[in-house]
Amino acid sequence: MNKLLLVGIAIIGFLSAAAILAPFISPYEPSLIDSASLLMPPSYAHPLGTDGLGRDLLSRIIYGARISLGIGIIAVGISLCIGVIAGSVAGYFGGLADSIIMRSADIMLCFPTFFLILATVAVLEPSIINIMVIIGLTSWMGIARLIRSEILSLREREFIQAAKAIGASHYGIICRHLLPNALGPVFVNATLGIAGAILLESALSFLGLGVQPPVPSWGNILIESKATLGVAWWITLFPGLAIFVTILGFNFIAEGLRKHWGYNA
Amino acid sequence: MFLSFVEKTKLPVFVVVFLFFAGSEGIAEDRGDAFVVGSISDARTLLPIIASDSASQDVCSMIFNGLVKYDKNLDLVGDLAQSWEVKEGGLVLVFHLRRNVSWQDGRPFTAKDVEFTYRQLINPSVRTPYSGDFERIKTLEALDDYTIRVTYKELFAPALSSWGMFIIPKHILEKQDLNSSTFQRKPVGTGPYVFKKWKSQNYIELLSSNTYFEKVPFISRYITRVIPDESTMFLELETEGLDAAGISALQYKRQTDTDFFKKKYYKFRLPSFSYLYLGYNLERGLFKDRRVREALNYAVNKQELIDMVLLGYGSIANGPFVPQSWAYDAQFPPAAFNQAKARSLLNDAGWKDDNFDGILEKDAVSFEFSILTNQGNEERIKAAQIIQKRLKEVGVRVKIKVVEWSVFLTEIINKRDFDAVLLGWSLSRDPDNFDIWHSSKIKPGEFNFIGYRNKEVDELLVQARKTFDQEKRKNCYFKINKLIYRDQPCMFLYVADNLFVVHKRFRNIEPGPSGIWHNFIYWWVPNVEQKYRSKSAIVP
Repeated sequence: MNKLLLVGIAIIGFLSAAAILAPFISPYEPSLIDSASLLMPPSYAHPLGTDGLGRDLLSRIIYGARISLGIGIIAVGISLCIGVIAGSVAGYFGGLADSIIMRSADIMLCFPTFFLILATVAVLEPSIINIMVIIGLTSWMGIARLIRSEILSLREREFIQAAKAIGASHYGIICRHLLPNALGPVFVNATLGIAGAILLESALSFLGLGVQPPVPSWGNILIESKATLGVAWWITLFPGLAIFVTILGFNFIAEGLRKHWGYNA
Repeated sequence: MFLSFVEKTKLPVFVVVFLFFAGSEGIAEDRGDAFVVGSISDARTLLPIIASDSASQDVCSMIFNGLVKYDKNLDLVGDLAQSWEVKEGGLVLVFHLRRNVSWQDGRPFTAKDVEFTYRQLINPSVRTPYSGDFERIKTLEALDDYTIRVTYKELFAPALSSWGMFIIPKHILEKQDLNSSTFQRKPVGTGPYVFKKWKSQNYIELLSSNTYFEKVPFISRYITRVIPDESTMFLELETEGLDAAGISALQYKRQTDTDFFKKKYYKFRLPSFSYLYLGYNLERGLFKDRRVREALNYAVNKQELIDMVLLGYGSIANGPFVPQSWAYDAQFPPAAFNQAKARSLLNDAGWKDDNFDGILEKDAVSFEFSILTNQGNEERIKAAQIIQKRLKEVGVRVKIKVVEWSVFLTEIINKRDFDAVLLGWSLSRDPDNFDIWHSSKIKPGEFNFIGYRNKEVDELLVQARKTFDQEKRKNCYFKINKLIYRDQPCMFLYVADNLFVVHKRFRNIEPGPSGIWHNFIYWWVPNVEQKYRSKSAIVP
């Protein structure tokens, strides 16, 4: 195993543990409003300071990790499901199925994703579930293309012909022989996708279309910090840093996996 | 009055913090320079009878005049009208217009323009929010080119002040459809400044008028820059890119006490004519019981809101009038913060925590509702979270939804698709608030969207409009205040102070109860301090 992968796994593992154990390790309740400690700089009582409503920033960032990581992982889970099914059907059967699936992927790719998401969220309500689903539904195309191209090249190999010769079903061939050999680059791609989804959620929340207050997500902590930028640097710095480190972690993992498996994608 | 997006308009001065006046006696006032003011939103239209938002009205007020205006002390004085007579006990107003006024394109201003403006205001196909006051008029005749006689159907106390409405030119607009006229982006008025250029979402540039009837303003250019973000606005102040702008409580308290700011800017803290409230949708069963609404009022600590959201720069609202208004009842006490009372009132109304989950239930339904507010207003979002916390303490679960402003108006307010809204009212100087509280004003697009109905209040509102004696009229409003506060159709929260700064190179600023803008055309900058000398180098 290479160093990049290790560092990446360490970062993400640490953050995931913090997110899972949030109720036990966060020093305060994340939406506890305290009029006695508005905008306090980092101190012993509040290691990362407090925000404009006197809420403890560390607790909010820890709870924010749940939202941000959760959205990243679930959104990518959704896009992975759709992408893998669509890509393998298109790649394996070819012909009309291929045309329909890949052309619809092309159509989806024509829309600028961010604006598609903005419009959808504006029409529906901004909520955690909606955001996960919308991000998932608008980011499966890359995965579908990857899977399809892998499968296109794999299905001509001898071992697939052998499988066909002994009468294996289509389903069996795709699931047992093709997918396991095609998934490597997909995992690399999906890891990057998680990072992308976290950034997307932060951007949406920053625009006020993401997770609604008082639930903390890194993006909406950041937007709240905008009004206090000149007075309270800590509210901007720490959630920004959290996003930065997380994205870095996922990128390390993706890069590490690629090197580990020797892909050049 | 209008729905306010953010309560930052030009409003009366009451308290002035460290203000320094350069003595101007004996020094000749210099002409030239420009005044650059920051606005959080762009104007929508510069046709004043259609403009309902404060950004548009602010610019219009530099280009147009009404027949009357408020002076420094909030007294009505003539503007386009030289004088006026009140006849037949108030039923008839006769205005004598100034004779030396011309439109900025050179044509003379006459009574025909006033008549034309009136016809447009009552024309149902013109989308104006100001028709209400003018529908009370029975006849309006131009007796000659400089005399107007207005006869009202019945006594109407806000009549005179309603003629502060800006007058528009007949010779330009006569044959146009006002709703789609190009005049909306290229106005011609009678005022001190002439429209020059409007770059959408960027700036509006006005030049001083050489033909203004009162006097040619000293400041040559008046520029409104659109900066849609509070922090960016503040950065612009720090680089002196703006000469005046509204600032947030936090900026006022923590970021403007630097040497730079003290040297460069006057800081103003003014009481405003707007208040924040939590309006309930009274059509929904949840809020039908008055005890419930009272309980919610007891459960929220208004002083805490002021301390945390406004950092103390505001006062508790005790009803639908603001302290600056003469109709305000200073003796009327708002309900004290008392959560025990809130709980017992909720119990009386049948709300009990039967399943011990911390949330009250009645007939197996939990007490839950959502508070909607608009995006881009940090103060409201903060206030919503504090209210949420306080209501949770008495067993009411609140969800907060933040919605984009235009969606908010068209989908939420006009369709009345809400439980409760956190919003502000910006009030006019005349206390008549018939449009907000009268039960006839509940149609879509009208202002009583919470659906408040009270016969007694209806009658008093009508009576107040007919009463000219200010003391008697005041009594009506005191009674209205009591009745509305007792009914709690909405939770009255606070009246925030209006905080802003103006650059110190401007001389002759004279704060008064009506604000600082009343003598803007007399402001000037000494030659040596003038900043914008070349004609172009102001706006990016």
